[in-house]
Amino acid sequence: MIFTVLFAIYFLSVAFQLELSLSHFKSRAGFGLSHLFLIDYTSNDSRWVAYYAGVINTIRVCLVAILLTTVLGTVMGVARLSKNFLTSRIAWAYVEVLRNTPLLIQIIFWQIVFLQLPHISEAITFGNTSAISNRGISLPGVSDNGSAQMWFIFLGIMAAGSLFLSYFLNKREDKSGEYLSIAGYKLSGNIVGIIFFALIAVVTYFAFGKPVSLDIPSISQNTKGTWMQSGGFELSPEFAAILFALVIYTGTFITEIVRGSIQSLSKGQTEAAQAIGLSRYQSMTLVVLPQALRSIIPPLTNQFLNLTKNSSLAVVIAYPDLFMVSRTIMNNSGHALPVFFLILFTYLFLSLCISLVMNLINRRVTRIGT
Amino acid sequence: MMTMPKININEIKNWTINNFFGSKLNLLLTIFSTLFIVYIISSFISFLSSAEWEVVALNKRLLLLGRLPAEDTWRAWPILWLFSSILCSSIGAWGNPKKSELLFILLAFLMPAAIFFSMSYIVHISITIIIGVGSYFSSRIIKKISAIKVVMYLDTLKKILISLWILLIPLVFIVLLIGGGPKPNLWGGFLLNILLASVAVVAGFPLGILMAIGRSTKLPVIKTACTLYIETIRGAPLVAWLLLAWFVLPKFLPNFYGLSEISVVIRAMIVLSFFASAYIAEVIRGGLQSIPKGQLEAADALNLSYFNKMRIIILPQAIKVVIPAIVSTFIGIFKDTSLVFILALTDLLQVGRIIPEQDPKFFGKQIEALLVVASLFWIVSVALSNLSSKIEKNLGIGTR
Amino acid sequence: MRKIKYTLLISALFAMTAFSYACATEDSSEASSSGGSNTLQEVLDRGMLKCGVNDNLAGFGVVAADGSFSGFDIDFCKAVAAAILGDSSKVEYTPTTASNRFEALGSGEIDLLIRNTTWTASRDRELKQDFTAPTFYDGQGMMVYVDSGYSSIDDMEGATICVLQGTTTELNLDDRFTGTGMSYTPLTFETNDPLQAAFEEKRCDGWTTDKSGLASKRASFPASAGGPEALKVLPETLSKEPLGPLTRDNDSEMYDVVQWVVFGMMQAEESGINSSNVSSIASNPPNPGVARLLGASFEGGEVQDFSFGIPKDFMQKVISQVGNYGEVYDRHLVPLGLERAGSLNAMWTEGGLIYAPPFR
Repeated sequence: MIFTVLFAIYFLSVAFQLELSLSHFKSRAGFGLSHLFLIDYTSNDSRWVAYYAGVINTIRVCLVAILLTTVLGTVMGVARLSKNFLTSRIAWAYVEVLRNTPLLIQIIFWQIVFLQLPHISEAITFGNTSAISNRGISLPGVSDNGSAQMWFIFLGIMAAGSLFLSYFLNKREDKSGEYLSIAGYKLSGNIVGIIFFALIAVVTYFAFGKPVSLDIPSISQNTKGTWMQSGGFELSPEFAAILFALVIYTGTFITEIVRGSIQSLSKGQTEAAQAIGLSRYQSMTLVVLPQALRSIIPPLTNQFLNLTKNSSLAVVIAYPDLFMVSRTIMNNSGHALPVFFLILFTYLFLSLCISLVMNLINRRVTRIGT
Repeated sequence: MMTMPKININEIKNWTINNFFGSKLNLLLTIFSTLFIVYIISSFISFLSSAEWEVVALNKRLLLLGRLPAEDTWRAWPILWLFSSILCSSIGAWGNPKKSELLFILLAFLMPAAIFFSMSYIVHISITIIIGVGSYFSSRIIKKISAIKVVMYLDTLKKILISLWILLIPLVFIVLLIGGGPKPNLWGGFLLNILLASVAVVAGFPLGILMAIGRSTKLPVIKTACTLYIETIRGAPLVAWLLLAWFVLPKFLPNFYGLSEISVVIRAMIVLSFFASAYIAEVIRGGLQSIPKGQLEAADALNLSYFNKMRIIILPQAIKVVIPAIVSTFIGIFKDTSLVFILALTDLLQVGRIIPEQDPKFFGKQIEALLVVASLFWIVSVALSNLSSKIEKNLGIGTR
Repeated sequence: MRKIKYTLLISALFAMTAFSYACATEDSSEASSSGGSNTLQEVLDRGMLKCGVNDNLAGFGVVAADGSFSGFDIDFCKAVAAAILGDSSKVEYTPTTASNRFEALGSGEIDLLIRNTTWTASRDRELKQDFTAPTFYDGQGMMVYVDSGYSSIDDMEGATICVLQGTTTELNLDDRFTGTGMSYTPLTFETNDPLQAAFEEKRCDGWTTDKSGLASKRASFPASAGGPEALKVLPETLSKEPLGPLTRDNDSEMYDVVQWVVFGMMQAEESGINSSNVSSIASNPPNPGVARLLGASFEGGEVQDFSFGIPKDFMQKVISQVGNYGEVYDRHLVPLGLERAGSLNAMWTEGGLIYAPPFR
C-alpha cells in the first residue's frame, strides 16, 4: 500500500514536469501530403489540418476494409464448410497460411505486387472510361459542381425519411393487412420507400442545378512531359496495398469466427430448413447465417478494433494515415510526448466509436432472435 | 480432416461426385477452385524458377541471431538444446502423438534447419536432433514404466518439466549474459523475436492475473482502475505503445543504478509485457466468468478467505480453461514483435528488409528474403496453434 | 503443486538477477548522466563508445553479413573510439532511423550520433543537441529517369516525388515546390527499401534526398531497372546539407574531442600524413605544426598538451588505425562515384570547404 502511494507520488511528480502542450500544432506544417480526401490541405496550413487529413485517411481505409473483410470472412467461413472438397481446402489453406504470418510482411508484399502494374506511360485504358497503372486504378467517379455537399445532406435526410415511410407502411400492413396497390399490383412498404427515394433524388438533382456530374479519369502528358493521371475515383497502390493486407489478414480471423458460429448451431437447423424445401443457398442465408450472427458479432467487434489499430502499419508504405502524419509532426516539432498522447486519444476515440456502433447492432440482432 | 476414401471404386466414385460434381453450384465451385489453384501454383512455380537465394544464404546468421558477435554465436546452441530437450520430453510425457504428428514436428524442426544448414554446424545440428529424439524416448520409457509399475515417476517428471518451462526464460537470459556476453542491443534476428514474445507473455502473466481479478471485483475504485488500464492499452496500436519505449520510459525510470539508461531492447520488453498483460487479463477474465457460481459458494461455505479462495479454487480452474487462448495471445504477440522496427531494433523482419541493400546485385530480391522470414514466423505460429488445439481437445473444452 | 510454487519463487529470483545483470552490463559506470553530462568520462569508464549510425545507406553505413558495420560515417565513429580509448574496434553501433536518431542521443542510448545528419538551427537549438564540424558537405538533389525529359526541377509541375519521412529533405522539397507555385504529390516513406522499390517501378517521377545518397543509389541501380545510365541527377541543389557528428547539449568535453578528431583528420591530410607514414613522421616530425598535431616531440622539445582529457598522441592512433580524411573519403565514397575534386569536399587549398582550424 505504501509502495503504491509512493509510486503514484513519484509518477505524478515526473508527469507534471513533462511538457504536454499542443500549442505547436498551430504553426505552419511545411510538409506536403498525398492521398488527400475530403480535405483541402496545403503545406501552408497548420499542423492540425495535416493531422485531420491523417485521421480522415485512417477512417477511410478502416471503413472500407471493415466492409470488405466482413464479406470476405463470411464467404470464406461458409466456403470452409462447403461440401466441395476443393473449395473447403482453399478456404482452409487461406486461413492457415495468412493467419500465421505477420501483417507487416503482407503489407510489404502487397505494395510490391501493386507496383507491378504497368507504368503510367503504358497505362491500360478501357475506352477512356477507366485507367490502370501503378500510379493508381482510376474508375469513373462523380465530381462536385458546387452544390454537391448540400445535395448529399438533403439526400441523407430523405433517405431517413423513406426508411421511416417503409417502416410505417410495413407496420400498418402487419397490423391491419392494408397495403397500397397500383392497378392491382401489391406495393410493399420497401418498394414504396425505394420509389419515393428515387423520385426525390431525380427531382432534386435538377432542382439543385445538376450538383454532380460524371467524372471520367484521364491520362495525359502536360507541356513539360509529366504524365498525369487525373479525375475519377482513384485507388492508389498504397491505399490498395494497405487495404488488401488488412482485409485479407483480418478476413482469416473472421473466417474462423463464422465457421465456429455456424458449427455451433445444431445440425437440425439446416436439416429443418432443407426439409421445408429451401435450397442450400436459401437455408444458409435465411436460416443459418441470421442465427449465427448472434454469436458472431461480439468477436467480430474485436476483429474490427484490431483492424483499426493495425491500420497504423500503413507507416511502412507511403500511405499518410494518422500515425504517419503524427510521426512527421513529432520529428519536425521535437515535441514527441504531447503528440504521442494525441495519437493515443485518437485511437481510443475511434475504438470507442466502433464499439458503440457494434453494440447497437448487437442489441438489434439479439432482440430479433428473442 | 475430410474423410478419405477407401480403396473401393464405388466409394471413390461416390466421394468424387459428392465432393466435386454434386450439383450445378458444386460444379461451378470445382471449376473456379481448380482455376484458382492452378493460377496460384503456376505463379509460385514461375517465381521459384527465377528466384535467387544468395541474399538469404549469405545472411543466415544475421537472420537468426542479428548482430550477435561471431564469438558469441555458441550461446545460441545451448539455448536450442535446452529448448528442444524440454519440448521433446514434454511431448513424450503429456502428448500421445500420432505418427503423422511426429512427422510434422520433425518437419517443422528440419525445415529451418534445411534453410539455414551449413557444414560448419553439422555437429551442433546433429547434437540437437540427438537430444530431441533422446529426450522424447526417455520420457516415453518413463511413462511406460509408470504405467506398468505403480510408481510416481511420471508425476515427478511432469513436475520437473513444468519447473523447467517456468525457468526457461531466466536460463536463456543467463546463457546469453554469462561471462561477459553481448549487450542486449546486439540481440537480434529470430532470437530477438522469440525472446521478446516469451518475456512479454511470461512477465505479463502475473500482472494480467491481477488486472483480471481487479476487473471482476465489486470494489468500484479497483474495478475502474483495472478496466481503465486494460481498455487504454487495448485501445491503441502496439506501434504507438512501442514509441513509449523511446521517449516516455527514459523519463519515468528513476536515475538509479543506471536504470534510466537500460538498453532499448529491455525497454521494448517492458512495453511489450505491459501490452501483453492487458490482453492476458481479458483472456483470464473470460476464464473467471466461465467458472460456475457453485464453486464460489462452496468456497465460501468452507470459510476460505478471499485470497485463498482465489488461489486454491478459482484461479487454477480459470487458468486451465484459458491455456489455449493464452497460446493464441502468445502467437499474436509473437507476430507483433515484428513491429519493433519502429525502435530500429534488428528483428527478423527488419533484417529481411535491410539485407537486399547490402549489395547492388541483391536489389529486387526482397521477395526471396521476405519469403524466408515469413516461413519462419509461419512455422512457429502453426506449430503453436496446433499445440493449442491439442491442449483444447485434451482439456475437453469446446466439446459439448 | 508445492514444488511448482518454489520453482516460481526461484525463477523470479533468477529473472531478477539476470535482469539486474543485464542492466549492470549495460552501464557499468553508475555515474549519473543528468544535467551537464560528462559523456567523455562515461566512455572512458565504460571502455566502449556507443555510436548511433545508419545501417541502410551504401557508402555511409551498411551492415555486412557478419553483422559488422562499414562506411564513411562508421569510420568517424572508429576515429573517435581510437582517440578516446586507443582502439578503433571499441565501438558499439546502434542502428538508428531518420525519425528516432535524436531521441536515441537525448535519452542516453548512444554517446555520439554520426548518421548523415544535417546541421540546422532548430535541431541545434530545439532538439538540445550540438553539431561538431561537418564531415561532409552535401546538398539535396533530385534524381529522375533520363527518358522523362526533365532538365530542371521547374519542369516537374504536377510530378510525384518519393521522399523519406522525418528528414529536412521533406521540408526542403515542399519549400521548393510551393515556393515557386508548383503542385506536386509527395510519397513519404519511412525507410529506404519500399522507396527504392517504388522508384524502380516508376511509381514516382523523382527521388529526392542528399546528392551523395542519390549518387550511391544511382551507382548501384540494378540493371533490371535500367542501370545507372537510365538515371540522372538534376544539376539544381535544393538546399545546403552540412552533415556531421552530434553530441548532447552542454557536453563540452565530448564535443571538443569529436570536433578536434574530425579537424585532426583534415589537418593530417593537409600535412600529408596518412596511415602508412604516420609512425615514421611521428618519430621524426618535419615541423612543429605536425608535432603538435600528432602529440609528438619536435627535436626533443616538450610535447604540446591540449588537455582534451585523452592521451596527447590521440591523432597518431586515429590516423594509424583509421586514416586521414582523404583516405576515409577515398575508401568509401569514391567507389560510389562521388568525385572529390571540384566538389565542396575538396581541401580548402583546392577550392573546397575542408578546412581545419590550427592545432596550436
